[in-house]
Amino acid sequence: MSLSTAIRTAQSALSNNSTQTSVISRNISNASNPDYNRRSAILSTTTFGATVITTSRSQNQALLVQGLQGTAASSGQQTLLTGLERLQSIFGGNDYETSPAALMASFRDTLSAYAVKPSESTLAESAIADAALLADGLRTASKEVQATRLDADKQIELDVEKLNSLLADFKKANDAVVGGTRAGRDVNQELDERERILKQIVEIVPVTTNARDSNDLALYTAGGLTLFETSPRAVTFAPSAGYDATVTGNQVFIDGQPLPPGQGAATSGKGSLQALLQIRDDYAPELQRQLDEMARGLITAFAESDQSAVPTLPDMPGLFTWAGGTVPAGGTLQPGLAASIVINPAVVTASGGNPNLLRDGGINGAAYVVNPSGAASFSQVLDGLVQAFDADMTFDSAAGLGTTGTLSSFAADSLGWLEQNRSDATASYETKEAFRFRTIEAYSNLTGVSIDEEMSILLELEQSYKASARIISAVDEMMQALLAAA
Amino acid sequence: MKTSFISSLAAQNSMRMTIQRSQVEIQKLQTEVVTGRYADVGESLGASVSRSVTLNREVLRLDTMKDSNSLVTQRLSASQLALEEMSNQAQELLEAFISVNSSNDATRLSVADQTITNALSSFTSAANTSSNGEFLMGGVNTDTKPLTDYQEAGNPAKATFDAAFFGYFGFTQDDPAAAGISVAAMDDFLTNTLEPLFSGPQWNADWSTASDSNVTSRISRTELVQSNANANEEGIRKFALASVIGLELLSAPISDEVRSLVNSRAIQHAGEAVNKIDNIRSKLGISENRVEKANKALEAQIQIFEIHVADLEEVDAYEASTRMKALLAQVETSYQLTARLQQLSLTNFL
Repeated sequence: MSLSTAIRTAQSALSNNSTQTSVISRNISNASNPDYNRRSAILSTTTFGATVITTSRSQNQALLVQGLQGTAASSGQQTLLTGLERLQSIFGGNDYETSPAALMASFRDTLSAYAVKPSESTLAESAIADAALLADGLRTASKEVQATRLDADKQIELDVEKLNSLLADFKKANDAVVGGTRAGRDVNQELDERERILKQIVEIVPVTTNARDSNDLALYTAGGLTLFETSPRAVTFAPSAGYDATVTGNQVFIDGQPLPPGQGAATSGKGSLQALLQIRDDYAPELQRQLDEMARGLITAFAESDQSAVPTLPDMPGLFTWAGGTVPAGGTLQPGLAASIVINPAVVTASGGNPNLLRDGGINGAAYVVNPSGAASFSQVLDGLVQAFDADMTFDSAAGLGTTGTLSSFAADSLGWLEQNRSDATASYETKEAFRFRTIEAYSNLTGVSIDEEMSILLELEQSYKASARIISAVDEMMQALLAAA
Repeated sequence: MKTSFISSLAAQNSMRMTIQRSQVEIQKLQTEVVTGRYADVGESLGASVSRSVTLNREVLRLDTMKDSNSLVTQRLSASQLALEEMSNQAQELLEAFISVNSSNDATRLSVADQTITNALSSFTSAANTSSNGEFLMGGVNTDTKPLTDYQEAGNPAKATFDAAFFGYFGFTQDDPAAAGISVAAMDDFLTNTLEPLFSGPQWNADWSTASDSNVTSRISRTELVQSNANANEEGIRKFALASVIGLELLSAPISDEVRSLVNSRAIQHAGEAVNKIDNIRSKLGISENRVEKANKALEAQIQIFEIHVADLEEVDAYEASTRMKALLAQVETSYQLTARLQQLSLTNFL
């Protein structure tokens, strides 16, 4: 050992010190960057003291994977919940003011008031006005449901575009990581970048990762479709221009294979795409079918039949009619019926009709008149119509609410179905969001920066810097003394 | 190497999340305390929303029924009032006939004639009572006056009678030749010519525009009642028959025996009129009674439904406000802790 060795060791200590300080300062400057993993300078003993051999990046694969899954699940659930909330908002607030169930009930009430005093034409007018509100409510709801599907479709298109560009970014980041690793460079920055992109990808599709040689990462969807393996796979989707009850949306293809939609209100779908597909192809169409069945129920309940002694004419739509102009077949769904249900112009004063036809029958001509004398207080037809709301009907099982029930109960059950799903989705979102938050917090605690810790390390460094400087000045004094003696 | 297992970011986030969640919860509780029902009924009830909606609509429906029942009650009591007047007039008519029974005194006959005239006109006006724009005795045909006024000039019923009399006897009822009518002939005329004019289809041509069917009204979910009467009821026909006999034949120049027959027939018909009109009154009385019972049942049902709705949708305001207080305290603590923890940094001590 010589004095010059001592000085060289002190020098290397200073150099280590500066590297470590720079690492710490980088840590501190990224303390609130969620995509930054804490670095630490690893020292190794050499002939001349110690040297910084590498800057290591703290990571925890298990927690990262859990965090990614949590993010995907929570993102999917949130998207589904938003969709269900949008569908629910069609029906108004806590009292469901604009729901067919509520409109039906208020129409039924005005109709029953009219049935008690059939001679009063203002009551006829108000019953018809309420019927118009009901028909309008069904049409608006149907329109909104299809608008929801169209918006989901547009969102899918945007998400697919974003996913494709994220995958392209991922390729760049991954190439940088692989290239850097092979060349033996510090790739921590690139790893951070790649992880950041990955976190964005899982918000759209669920991802499982497969780590390979040279830090290479391959991505698959939870269902096993390849998203990225050396190069990004194409995610394709053809948006639809417009939606009605008969339009089926296109699928999303990943590497040529269709991405399945999520299942259930506590959705099995992870990432926004699966949830959007579920809203577009599952919930919204089912609600549409229910609206269609309600509209069909109304047209059927209010249909007129031939009153001749020997009836020959077919039943015809009465107060409510639709684009088809006939009474739809019983128990069979007529897709898109709710979009075209209207009040028969024959009873609307504004279009030259006669509101009293509601009381007397005969909207479809003389053969259908029940009250031929036109007696002003004739209430049988009206009372029959009021009762029709509570008469058992057959519904198509495709609407998912059972096949028999009354018109009123069917409308109420439809709300119950929607709210059940929304309630489940809300509860599930809370759980999934809590899980996501916990895993991310745990991951952040393990890999993130604690300023206090950095500060305490900085104190140590300060001390060791002072000590090294002291060594140098001591050795210098010794050298001076030696030289003076010579 | 990392020695502490808390990152600055996670610490900040977790405090922020706690506060954020509490604030959302506070907002919800505030709505619940103020409105007394769930802030988001659908989210809290799920599928039970279907029941809540059904119950709420049912309450509205029963309310509507209660309202419309008051209309039925009004119609029924107005009809009762009219029928009471008609019954009284029938009684008057009967008494007038009895007062001239086996009497040929011209003065008494003219007094009776006057009474009959008054009774018929009062009866007609009672039968044409309208309430709320409805002619009560019209059956379902409530928009036309149900009974014509026999004493009006050019009344078709009067013309029909005159024609029938002339057709049968060959002279008018004022003709002195009427004195020659035999009891048998008059009996035949009354039974086979005059009566069918009142019991047959001619009634609807001459006297009444009412419909045979009465207004039916739904007073509860299962009950329908008749809420008025019609001028084609037998009592009204009998009254008309009796009063026409009284007006046209009692003071006619007929023989005493024939007058006695005429009077006894008139008494018989007037008696039946009183009886049948009272029958209608009791039928409507039953309806009134059913409406009253139905109203009571509706009240009870509404109360039950409201209790069910409350069970489903309402939150315990006391519990909500207690929870709210606890939450507020929690949030305040959280604020204080956040401020303290922010200060608790090594940088402040270096």
